[in-house]
Amino acid sequence: MEQNNSLPPFQGLASPQGAMTPGMPIFSPMMPYGSGLTPQPVTNTNSLSLLEEQQRQQQQQQQASAQQAGVPGGLGQTPQLYHSQTVTTTTLPGNTPLYTATPLTPMTPITPATPASESSGIVPQLQNIVSTVNLGCKLDLKTIALRARNAEYNPKRFAAVIMRIREPRTTALIFSSGKMVCTGAKSEEQSRLAARKYARVVQKLGFPAKFLDFKIQNMVGSCDVKFPIRLEGLVLTHQQFSSYEPELFPGLIYRMIKPRIVLLIFVSGKVVLTGAKVRGEIYEAFENIYPILKGFRKTT
Amino acid sequence: MVISTVTPNSGVRASRSPSADLWDFFSPCSGDVLALPKVQCPNHPDAMLVEDYRAGDMICPECGLVVGDRVIDVGSEWRTFTNEKATQDPSRVGDAQNPLLNGGDLSTMISKGTGAASFDEFGNSKYQNRRTMSSSDRAMLNAFKEITTMADRINLPRNIIDRTNNLFKQVYEQKSLKGRANDAIASACLYIACRQEGVPRTFKEICAVSRISKKEIGRCFKLILKALETSVDLITTGDFMSRFCSNLGLPKQVQMAATYIARKAVELDLVPGRSPISVAAAAIYMASQASAEKKTQKEIGDIAGVADVTIRQSYRLIYPRAADLFPPDFKFDTPVDKLPQL
Repeated sequence: MEQNNSLPPFQGLASPQGAMTPGMPIFSPMMPYGSGLTPQPVTNTNSLSLLEEQQRQQQQQQQASAQQAGVPGGLGQTPQLYHSQTVTTTTLPGNTPLYTATPLTPMTPITPATPASESSGIVPQLQNIVSTVNLGCKLDLKTIALRARNAEYNPKRFAAVIMRIREPRTTALIFSSGKMVCTGAKSEEQSRLAARKYARVVQKLGFPAKFLDFKIQNMVGSCDVKFPIRLEGLVLTHQQFSSYEPELFPGLIYRMIKPRIVLLIFVSGKVVLTGAKVRGEIYEAFENIYPILKGFRKTT
Repeated sequence: MVISTVTPNSGVRASRSPSADLWDFFSPCSGDVLALPKVQCPNHPDAMLVEDYRAGDMICPECGLVVGDRVIDVGSEWRTFTNEKATQDPSRVGDAQNPLLNGGDLSTMISKGTGAASFDEFGNSKYQNRRTMSSSDRAMLNAFKEITTMADRINLPRNIIDRTNNLFKQVYEQKSLKGRANDAIASACLYIACRQEGVPRTFKEICAVSRISKKEIGRCFKLILKALETSVDLITTGDFMSRFCSNLGLPKQVQMAATYIARKAVELDLVPGRSPISVAAAAIYMASQASAEKKTQKEIGDIAGVADVTIRQSYRLIYPRAADLFPPDFKFDTPVDKLPQL
């Protein structure tokens, strides 16, 4: 059945099996991450569980159709036909697999895909990664602050040492329990490298520092769709997901459910995506929102 | 008592005992054994009987037949006038309840004694209860009082106060925002109620009458919308025009011109991303500067709650198209090309 080895089968999340190998650009823009809940413009349901159910049904459909199809190798890589992002308001397929046609049957898409819809050529750039690591031993913040360079410690204001390094330009908060938060890196690998450097600094100061449970907690990305957006229209149709209060914040706050991502959408067309634990969620969320934003493009 | 009948169909009725007369007119509903007997006029079974409580009669309005007799009077035993000695109200009924909001507190309490025997030797009253009246809803009653105080300061009508109370009750019963200060929730409910009634108040206006910061009110506002699963309409520039203009003392033509300018500016997308309040303030500035009643940016900023630099920024955006923004029938005191340019 699954003869194709070039692309992994579609899962709910867009991450491949296995850990992410650093340095390799796995998540290129040509791979559509159109899985998950494509936010549908006109739904009257208010509860999240209903939405999740709908989305689960869609995924099951896709799984069923994906299993029927073998993989014609040559057919696989054309994203434009089966990209899941259609502009219809009926139930959208969550993830339309690229290869729905068997070699025997003609290429009839299971769900009608608008031929004009293709993946946006835009890749969100990562701006900030927040990660945590456990150094595994209790630390004396006073000695660290006194002996390390670029460290500040003001126990009355905050109970941690704030250390900065220049190479991956990052900032770390080091707590006396031995836990550390590293912020400011632009990629996962840089964040890990920076955390290791901080751990080394602490180790050189004489503490038996280890490098336990490195985990990326949050990833922030941003991009530009290059056209102005009608936020009022977007908040009218996607009321359950959006919150737009010009008095409080000039951007629209869109809380996407399927990849649990919060997007800040601005009138200028700039989009900030945050709340991701893996890079693929950011890409997936952007691919989900792009057709919706195209629908609310300002015409003047 | 003799029942006076007009034209009895079933012959003349002599005087009988009252109870027998009453029962004659009772007729159970057909086919329904369990139904209570209904009193109805024999000639007009469909007529709704009018109750004359003073005499204790039920009278048919069609023919004037006194159907019921010796009906128990539910009026008060005595007449109460509000004159001196108002503290001693002999009415046993008490205050009007607010059952929608309080949950029907029907408990009674012992009042303070009045005689000499109820005070001990030091002058303190012997029985001191009055403390735990309705502990479960004390916070809610407090909040209602706070809401009424806040609404009073900005002269909000009763319907908005009622809506706010209802919202607060729903939020309070849900307990999802239990950790937040009640005043913050009350202020946010007031903001939502004004929005829902179609007369939005800016966050700064609500801040002015509340002790809570705008940030906290904004946070509670979003939390309440999520908790109650409601949404509110987007604010528009026109919602604030009448209030701002009348606070500034601008005449109706200027207000209408400012409304038109702001609406046109938003339609032509001259001010993308600007808060509607800022656009409204800039429109008021332009309209007032073109009319006889010129207001400064500072005055307008004061009323609208926007900084005068903000008005300046928005004004700079709408100034280039000023000629298109004015309504066609506007009487210019200062022509368009002489409008201030900053």
